[in-house]
Amino acid sequence: MAWNGPYQSRFLRLDPAKGRFQVHRSAYNDPAVFQEEMERIFAKTWQVVGHESEIRQPGDFIRRPLAGRNLIFVRDRNGEAKVFFNTCPHRGAQFCQENTGNRKTFVCPYHGWVFRNSGELANQNTDYGYTSDFNDDGRYNLQSVPRLEKRAGFYFVNMDPNAISLDEYLAGAGDRLDLLMLHSPAGLEVISGVHEYQIKANYKLLCENSYDGYHLESTHRSYVEYMMTVNKGVDLSQIGGRAISFGNGHACFELRIPTGRPLAQPLPYWGEEACAEIEAKKKDLFERVGPEVGDIVANTNRNMIIFPNSVINDQQTILLRTIVPLACNLMLVRAWAIGPVDESPLLRSLRLEGALSFLGPGGFATPDDVEMLELCQIGYENHDTAWNDISKGFHLGEDSLRTVDPKYNNELQMRAYWTQWDKMMTGGQQASAKLAAE
Amino acid sequence: MYSRQQTRLSIEGFVYHEADLLDRWKLDEWVELWTDPCTYEVTTVGESDPETTSPEKSLFLIGDNRFRLEQRVVRLNKTSAHVEYPHSRTRHLFTNVIVTDESADEIAAQVNFVVFRTKRSVTNHYMGYSLYTFAKMGDALKIRRKRCILDLEGLVPQGKLSILL
Repeated sequence: MAWNGPYQSRFLRLDPAKGRFQVHRSAYNDPAVFQEEMERIFAKTWQVVGHESEIRQPGDFIRRPLAGRNLIFVRDRNGEAKVFFNTCPHRGAQFCQENTGNRKTFVCPYHGWVFRNSGELANQNTDYGYTSDFNDDGRYNLQSVPRLEKRAGFYFVNMDPNAISLDEYLAGAGDRLDLLMLHSPAGLEVISGVHEYQIKANYKLLCENSYDGYHLESTHRSYVEYMMTVNKGVDLSQIGGRAISFGNGHACFELRIPTGRPLAQPLPYWGEEACAEIEAKKKDLFERVGPEVGDIVANTNRNMIIFPNSVINDQQTILLRTIVPLACNLMLVRAWAIGPVDESPLLRSLRLEGALSFLGPGGFATPDDVEMLELCQIGYENHDTAWNDISKGFHLGEDSLRTVDPKYNNELQMRAYWTQWDKMMTGGQQASAKLAAE
Repeated sequence: MYSRQQTRLSIEGFVYHEADLLDRWKLDEWVELWTDPCTYEVTTVGESDPETTSPEKSLFLIGDNRFRLEQRVVRLNKTSAHVEYPHSRTRHLFTNVIVTDESADEIAAQVNFVVFRTKRSVTNHYMGYSLYTFAKMGDALKIRRKRCILDLEGLVPQGKLSILL
């Protein structure tokens, strides 16, 4: 769907001939729009719930919040991954309070109903009052989410039983996820420790920020200066890269940036031992996957968003970040570092060092992002001003949902997001003349 | 017993001074309180074994060596450290000092903290305890290691840890 002429909906105002792409601020700060998003977007799209390595053994479970829902992600007695709503089918109490653990059964603390980790009701903690066929159709078992599917080790859920398959939904982004599987034949694991923080801003501001190449110089000037100090001899002005829009609103930027990767891009200041180990890994990688794919895996960094709220970055470390929208002006962010299962302690420490210095709410960069997003949200309190701008690189004929922009620091990524978002929120309908005139 | 009390008083005097430097944003002087090398760490919330895990194995909030500690202060002194420019107001309360170990050249102590941070009329607090290792340098003490363990279930609602604990 290429933008070949002016377009206006409740939320978008586009004039491709003039290179203008604007988003109405009600999309960020109107509680009614937020409610609409919950129904039209979060009840219909695939969202990451966790990684297979987080529930290795039968009985392993993790509690996970998701847009408007509390879930538990569990490996059941048969080794199958399941996701249940964390609410008792009896009176509704949240039955699991632990964040993580291993259990054969879950017991609701209210009346003592007992459930196997596969979800079946085992007993109701009483000898009388219920018929023997009370649960013969399973209606009192723990309720599973309607859809649960896996790609590249990541489990995704969807609340819409009629949703298209995960593979179809991911479109071109699926191939980029698959690249992660090439990091090690032994597989990947989520490293212990989670960065969890709340930002007083609309969740889409963090989506935009997560693959915004344009803000680096201004927002992160102090971080860039730090990197120049650490990484002497590396010219960060030579960053090159592109943005890719994969279809269905998923997009990334893909950079060639010499900041080092314990996987296959050594930095001299990491020392001889680490460099030798990384060179050996790189050689092994190229032998396994060939020079073309090997080059992408070894030498490119990606910040990617799976629409609408799953961030998967492939940098010095792999970072999974889920953005939980709590209100139109509030979100909860949770982020994990991911690395090869068979990584040496030395390379693991380099991976984590990278994750710490830039990312995370105690790092040299993320706190400034948090500040910028909160300043945007405060700015929207000026109701007399109505529009945000996402125009950088926009031109007549751009197919924002599926194209490549040779400049990573244009704003195609966000236009991919907003085009999909607008399509789901408005059905792509042109707004009334009254709105258009505003 | 008496000597333990003397040690505790020394530690209290030290951390009160540390708190004062932090609240007055005299960060260059704060760096001078540390040995070289040193480690300054803040574990992630929900870490199952926050006293013994290491930033080489687990994701931390902060895992600074001497170089990164200095760079953290260099950054916080810049106007381009947007989140702390203008500086927030902070009040560090360091209390409940327990000397846990003492040798000829080191003292280990546990210190509770509550830190209030105010910016744009919003006050957030960070509370928890710190495990210190002090180096005896003649008559003076310096911090060789400080690990802060937050009593939080996430940086909710703080959103970030942009100040020093």
